[in-house]
Amino acid sequence: MNAVRALLLVVAVAATFISAQTNDTRPPIKIGFMVPLSGGNAQNGRDILNGFLMYLDEIGYRAGGRQIELIVEDDEAIPAVGLTKARKLVERDEVHVMAGALLSSTGYALAPYITSMKIPMVYPVVSADDLTQRRRSEWIVRTGWSGSQPNHAFGEYAYQKLGIRSVVTIALDYAFGWESVGGFERTFAAAGGRIRQKLWVPLSAHDFAPYLAQIPRDVDAVYALLLGRTALQFMRQYEEFGLKGRVTLIGGGTTTDEHVLPFMGDEAIGTVTALHYSAALDTPANKAFAATYRARFKKIPSYYSESMYTGGKWLIAAINAIDGRVEDRAALVEALRRVRPSDLPRGPMELDAYGNPIENVYIRRVERVNGELQNTVIDTFPRVSQFWTFDPDRYLSEPLYER
Amino acid sequence: MSGSPGTPCLQLERVSRHFGGLKAVDDVTLTVEPGARHAVIGPNGAGKTTLFNIISGEFPPSSGAITLDGRNVTKLKPHQRAALGVARTFQITRLFPELSVIDNVLLACAALDRRKFTMFRPLSSHGDFMERAGRLLDQFELSNVRDERARHISYGAQRRLDVALALAGHPRLLLLDEPMAGLSTPERVAMRGLLEQLDPSIAVLLIEHDMDVAFSFAARVTVLHQGKVLADGSRDEVSANELVQQAYLGGSVNS
Amino acid sequence: MAEPRATAPDWRLVVAGLGAVFLLAAPPFLSAYWVGLLTQVVILGILAMSLDLLIGYTGLPSLGHAGFFGVAAYGVGILSTTYQAGVVASIAGGFIAGTGLAALLGLIVSHVRDVYFLMITMALGMVLWGLSFRWIPVTGGDNGIAGIPRLETLIGLPATGPIPFYYLALVVFAACIVLMMVLVKSPFGLTLQGIREHEPRMRSLGFNTWLHGYLSYVCAGAFASVAGIMWAYYNGFVSPTYLDLTASSELFLMVTLGGPATLVGPVIGAGAIVILKNVMSAYTARWLLILGIVYIVTILWAPQGLWNLGRHRRS
Ligand SMILES: Nc1ncnc2c1ncn2[C@@H]1O[C@H](COP(=O)(O)OP(=O)(O)OP(=O)(O)O)[C@@H](O)[C@H]1O
Ligand SMILES: [Mg+2]
Repeated sequence: MNAVRALLLVVAVAATFISAQTNDTRPPIKIGFMVPLSGGNAQNGRDILNGFLMYLDEIGYRAGGRQIELIVEDDEAIPAVGLTKARKLVERDEVHVMAGALLSSTGYALAPYITSMKIPMVYPVVSADDLTQRRRSEWIVRTGWSGSQPNHAFGEYAYQKLGIRSVVTIALDYAFGWESVGGFERTFAAAGGRIRQKLWVPLSAHDFAPYLAQIPRDVDAVYALLLGRTALQFMRQYEEFGLKGRVTLIGGGTTTDEHVLPFMGDEAIGTVTALHYSAALDTPANKAFAATYRARFKKIPSYYSESMYTGGKWLIAAINAIDGRVEDRAALVEALRRVRPSDLPRGPMELDAYGNPIENVYIRRVERVNGELQNTVIDTFPRVSQFWTFDPDRYLSEPLYER
Repeated sequence: MSGSPGTPCLQLERVSRHFGGLKAVDDVTLTVEPGARHAVIGPNGAGKTTLFNIISGEFPPSSGAITLDGRNVTKLKPHQRAALGVARTFQITRLFPELSVIDNVLLACAALDRRKFTMFRPLSSHGDFMERAGRLLDQFELSNVRDERARHISYGAQRRLDVALALAGHPRLLLLDEPMAGLSTPERVAMRGLLEQLDPSIAVLLIEHDMDVAFSFAARVTVLHQGKVLADGSRDEVSANELVQQAYLGGSVNS
Repeated sequence: MAEPRATAPDWRLVVAGLGAVFLLAAPPFLSAYWVGLLTQVVILGILAMSLDLLIGYTGLPSLGHAGFFGVAAYGVGILSTTYQAGVVASIAGGFIAGTGLAALLGLIVSHVRDVYFLMITMALGMVLWGLSFRWIPVTGGDNGIAGIPRLETLIGLPATGPIPFYYLALVVFAACIVLMMVLVKSPFGLTLQGIREHEPRMRSLGFNTWLHGYLSYVCAGAFASVAGIMWAYYNGFVSPTYLDLTASSELFLMVTLGGPATLVGPVIGAGAIVILKNVMSAYTARWLLILGIVYIVTILWAPQGLWNLGRHRRS
């Protein structure tokens, strides 16, 4: 019931402010927010919500001289439900701006509706490449990342810095997995590396033995792209199979993201992954963010938590930039694309012309520091674009990464 | 549907049915003439119901051949045999319990009519079905419970309804499996009256434990014992038969 | 002359009448959000009724019924986006895809009954889901297909938006409920109930019950396809969640909650679940728990479903 309590808190806080600010003549700015708050993705959804609540608290639920009212909905990680909730937020609650969504499928399902209703929306997490590429919407800005983005950097890094020549990939069998592996393969192969085999795991996988058994022992590294329960299970079995220490383990950022890392043991140590964030990032902005988050929610922030802290900061900066005149939606979406708040936990960031961040990609290695596992940043690719070093037009003329 | 004159309505040739090691029906040869009144008697477990099941096609015989009106039907399914004029009732009443009595009968009336596939016209608008169903209800004294659900009417009425269903499709061969079983005395009398008024062109094969009923209703009687035909002939021949006297009518076997 | 009987009208008539008036007259006075929910109710109502043909009337408990719904929706989605087909071709394509699939799968499933039917339909449903998820070049995989144009515009309605679409869906719903109500009263409909009540007896009366069961499966698939087509246009996108096991079981719940073999009951079940889900989830993330409680209470208090309340209990 965390979400409910959080929601009540928001309402209470908002109410206090409304009664305190009697000189406020303009009605509150309504922000519609949705993530999965029930079902298998609820934990990630809560992290996203937490980040947002934390930032709204910091600014006292005020922006552009107006009160902020946050309306939270559960999209259940089902696209049709997400759409119904979006309709509710837009048509019944009459929100001025939307934020949220976790799954790519929900992201794609919402996009045409958001576009048709001309409601500005911030996608903090949804990583499907095409949302800011071939199927971009002028009403949607993404403050997160595109799935292949850190992996373009990582493919090159794996070959050049880690000295890896051959790789077996093991990834979740859906768009997120395909795009991550696709991005990695592209630059890794271009550098001269070879993908020996691609293993695809259903999202419902419980046992990795059949996959691990297929991995040849003479391969240089295994690239894993997993999430949540599957990441935990995989790590354990990777060690049980005697692969740990023999075959280097690398992967996509979610495999060791802080949403699962605290639940892992020593088997995770040494895994190298790439992402645009790490809770262990050693900058003043991130240290402050991580410490406050920890104090408030009693856990390490995950990249999901950071996503909507930064997304919130972006959104509020845009609202401030137009002095709270959110009724002018075109102005708001224009501001969303223009603003460039600084001191973000993840480091510098700006939006490209397609609505996707240009941001740092961090190469992280799992280490135990002060008794806790963390993603220690061992290298940084600054200002990485979703198109990597390729020409956007040429890039977009090529097909999307698939299985 | 109707065979040439002289062709038996039903002919079983050396029909057997085994259940594992048990020979429930063992090498039975039997002929039923058109319009016959034919009783099958025998003690419990003699194989009478199994014989009916073989005739109506519930399951195939282990060996032997079944001929209806000169046509070999051994391999036909129950609904195909029904289309050739076989109808039956069951030892344990089989009705459509949640449907009304009239719907039970209407279903039976539609069974052999092409209009059973009509989808977008209510059944109640088919006048001829309604008329025939109404007549059957009258005949079987069910009109007063016409709109009751079949499961709510009295047991006696359910037995009568079972027979009415069997008759709805104008059968040429009617198999009645102990229609009197479990009825009270007045109900038995009523049922007997109904059976005696059946269309004489329908061949009726009746399983009955009550000797009086069997011998008064049927001109011909077949006695089954442990799956085999113990005796077969006119009622006088059978009642005079030594073996039957000993094994059955004499009471050495429970009936 | 018979004395006029002083019986009060059945409460069902009153409720159905009020419901019909509400569906017809209320939307102009409701917010777009509520009109959207009502649209969902009538579309899912068609779907629930189509499943009722199987569960309630024929007695075939299908746990894969969302498959036809989903396949028809995909038909519309794929034809109208990838192939830029016209509205008539898209609708016809969706209908043929869903119904044709039912005709094909029916050949397999109509041979079994009861729990075997349940399991095999569930398995086939999961295969269809897997196909929608995996056949990426055609279905877009997990991401689905977005960008289905608006039906109101396509068929040239003077106005677009939630209310015109709602009335369009209501017309389709009305046509479907009338057709199905006639269907269940038709000779064919009665044969389905006969199969439910006593299949061996049906056979000995002369019915090829396999054929009737098969045809009922195809009919149910056809009506489910109609619902799927409307759903695709309503949402403007299709995704694998349309035909996953959750969708099929929620549908099953609508029928059993509302009252099988009543047609109206499943519509009420669909309404209850849609409204409950959306209203409750605004207050709690545990709406599934609440739905579970509602379901248990219904089982205890109205084991035959809401619409059968006060009727005789089936043995
Ligand atoms: N489907 C079956 N499987 C196995 N055994 C069976 C089956 N049907 C009948 N039998 C057995 O075959 C024998 C004959 O049974 P059947 O029901 O034909 O007897 P019946 O003459 O009708 O007896 P009753 O007077 O009790 O009705 C019995 O021993 C019975 O247990
Ligand atoms: Mg018997």
